[in-house]
Amino acid sequence: MNGSVVREKSVFIVIPAFNEAKRIGKVLEDVKSISLPVIVVDDGSNDSTFEQIKKHRVIALRHRVNLGKGAAIKTGCEAAFSLGAEAIIMMDSDGQHKAEDLPKFLEKIEGGKVDIVFGSRNMNMGVPLVRFMGNKMASVLISFLFGVYISDLICGYRALTKKAYDVMKLKSSDYGIETEMVVKAAKYKLRYCEIPVETIYYDKFKGVTILDAFGILLNVLKWRIIR
Amino acid sequence: MILGLQLIAVIFSLIMIYFAYLHFRRNEINGLEILFWFIAWIGAMFMAIFPEIFRAFSARIAISRAFDLAMVGAFILVIPLVYMAYVRTKRLERKLEELIRGEAKRTLKEKAGKKQ
Repeated sequence: MNGSVVREKSVFIVIPAFNEAKRIGKVLEDVKSISLPVIVVDDGSNDSTFEQIKKHRVIALRHRVNLGKGAAIKTGCEAAFSLGAEAIIMMDSDGQHKAEDLPKFLEKIEGGKVDIVFGSRNMNMGVPLVRFMGNKMASVLISFLFGVYISDLICGYRALTKKAYDVMKLKSSDYGIETEMVVKAAKYKLRYCEIPVETIYYDKFKGVTILDAFGILLNVLKWRIIR
Repeated sequence: MILGLQLIAVIFSLIMIYFAYLHFRRNEINGLEILFWFIAWIGAMFMAIFPEIFRAFSARIAISRAFDLAMVGAFILVIPLVYMAYVRTKRLERKLEELIRGEAKRTLKEKAGKKQ
């Protein structure tokens, strides 16, 4: 892939970042190879993440205080769509997602046959056992409640069209946003597919905690009741 | 004679009255709110010191002990307060999110405006 490729759709990459000064630079170097516009939303980091972002040729936005991953994703998506994006690909800022997987998302989302592309991590690649079990149980629960089975509910590597984003009207401002997307994809009968992605865990203390998972579970029940 | 439990209830109520007064002086609660808290805590002290006054009343509403009446009263007071705090926190969270995200998006528009 290079800059001379004529895209069928205007696709932006959206990266929410919080306290990732050490790794964000490498992530942005990697995505440069794909030649897509990149929006990075610094979600109120208290390290030098924002300064690191500004060293790269990307659109850097900043939340003055930390609101949560969901809020950063929504800000990034809305900024991308306001700049004319027809679809976005979101990825994590900690380097766990590989830029080599981006063409797979592009192929699916530009093909026009799906509204959302869910990345699915290979659970044999160093995913902590507790997370693996929790993720699988949550997938089964969502499947039971909403009739849609996504093998990796909380993978942040995803692509979605503007149409899908507008329809879903996402509310979550925390880690619940990924689950909300799955639930709303089922609710609004959006077309979706899953693709396998590579993952490397660098920091086992970051990401969804048991308390977050409990909060997400309560929200899932709420979404089921007020469906 | 005031028993240990009654003494604890009275001391606790006095401390809470002090905190209510402190927040009133800091302009964090208004006159009506401090009046509410004064009545609530003086009532609690009164109930702790003279429980027999409430025995007749608690018997009329099929509550066997004055202490049980105090517990029911406390729950009736605390549950709406917790709910109000929850609703207000949610409202504040939403407003804060709108404010912060709006500010971030405004910077994008400003950058775009400068480029043009």
